[in-house]
Amino acid sequence: MTLLEAAAALRRRETSSVELTAAALRSIERLNPSTNAMQSVLVDAARGRAKQADEELARGEGRGPLHGIPIAVKDLFYTKGVRTTGGSNLFAEHVPDHDATVVEWLRTGGAVLAGKTGMHELAYGITSSNPHYGAIRNPWDRDRIPGGSSGGSGAAVAGGMVFMAMGSDTGGSIRIPASYCGVVGLKPTYGRVSRYGAMPLGFSLDHMGPLTRSVRDAGAVLNIIAGYDPRDETSSRRAVENYVPDIEPSIRGMRIGMPENFYFERLDCDVDAAVRAAFQTAAGHGAEIVPLRVPDIAAINTVARVILLAEASAQFEPYMEQRDRFGPDVLALLDQGRLLSATDYINAQRLRHNMQREFAGVWSRVDCLFTPATPITAPRIGETTVTCGGQDEDVRLATTRLVRAINALGLPAISIPCGTDRRGLPIGLQIVGPPFAEALILRAAQAILPAEVAVPRL
Amino acid sequence: MSDLKTDSKTDSKTDFKKDWKSLARAGGLTIPSSALERVAQTLEALEADFRPLVRALPRESEPALAFHAATHDDGENAE
Repeated sequence: MTLLEAAAALRRRETSSVELTAAALRSIERLNPSTNAMQSVLVDAARGRAKQADEELARGEGRGPLHGIPIAVKDLFYTKGVRTTGGSNLFAEHVPDHDATVVEWLRTGGAVLAGKTGMHELAYGITSSNPHYGAIRNPWDRDRIPGGSSGGSGAAVAGGMVFMAMGSDTGGSIRIPASYCGVVGLKPTYGRVSRYGAMPLGFSLDHMGPLTRSVRDAGAVLNIIAGYDPRDETSSRRAVENYVPDIEPSIRGMRIGMPENFYFERLDCDVDAAVRAAFQTAAGHGAEIVPLRVPDIAAINTVARVILLAEASAQFEPYMEQRDRFGPDVLALLDQGRLLSATDYINAQRLRHNMQREFAGVWSRVDCLFTPATPITAPRIGETTVTCGGQDEDVRLATTRLVRAINALGLPAISIPCGTDRRGLPIGLQIVGPPFAEALILRAAQAILPAEVAVPRL
Repeated sequence: MSDLKTDSKTDSKTDFKKDWKSLARAGGLTIPSSALERVAQTLEALEADFRPLVRALPRESEPALAFHAATHDDGENAE
């Protein structure tokens, strides 16, 4: 059942928030021992909030589609009175005295916070094999990573523990777990969703967005969390739209770009075939497929890496004397960032500006781009090297290769499942649009994936 | 910074090669030598990709991040 289906059932009094929440908590209790998706489970608070939601609904005080729906948020969103670790040993006992804007707005929308999801340490990595809180496991195959850094959110949604889990995305951290776990993951435009109260990693690259089991659910959540927030200096004042696409939206005449360079290089053959099939599906709906060369994505990736290394290391500099409190992979990245110079960072930001302008030219030719989200399906836990298109590649660099540049450009992007590989593992299709074109990419995504995602047998 | 060595070897892609280990020592960074070796290798690879981009950067390019004298509350950034 999707979030919007559950909301409709609630409105028809076919179920109650107390029942939905009890089912979510049972599902968490059953599946969390084998997936480690949840960092914290808020049993009593969720039950109390569900009871309150039922009372409000009975009085006709509906707050929208999230009212009474059990959800989770990544454990880097500040939650008043609830431990927020950021997946880090440094913040193991950190209890914020306020909510992140996203959490505040979800609560105002009536959502029931059932728990907080596990993540890669400090959101700085893609495996979600956390050295302090244990490896998070992919519900499709427990020997494989769920992706990251929002790995717990991907696993919790794929496993049916909650209807939606919030994630954050600095170099692909929503779209990667969406791809590896076979769910929908939406990274909105930079500035569309407030970053206030979310532990920062790279402040000019961090984006907040939902992971869900349908495209329309992602749109419904964006309706709640999008909007201007004066507490976030980079928040946009641009008016929000209705982001929920029609059930059968028209994409007739939509110009969908098919990159001729970069995005289809060094792919697993099953990924290549599944994404190319998505173009055929779109064409079958009347979309115009436009082959085109895109700007140098490898160069944008390089610039994005320099910016992230510098920003993350600046962020965590005060803690660097406590080296034994970091896991080895995160520590290595923080050390790298500390050795970059100020001129490197500024030049990376200058390059980023030029690349942003150059990439804007793409939108005069197409309305959106279809690309693979990840070149491979979920790697095994502990794998450090993967083979992509016959070449060995570092698992982190391979996993982020097709998503990282979009963070530097600040563009909206969504990953939706578009098939499975020979082992039955999900494959992700990435749809990228111009700034603030969330409604358009959601419409395209809904045309390709009109139903709920497939879920693993658990 | 007197102990900061500049490697005289020329790299075909970067023209010069930073001595990351000396930079770490000069900056007072307490990175164990085993970790520093891996860090240096990764940074050398990144530098090889990054340096040519910087060399091609037009002089008049401004950074993507800019200081605004007025804050949001003043309506300066209204879209």
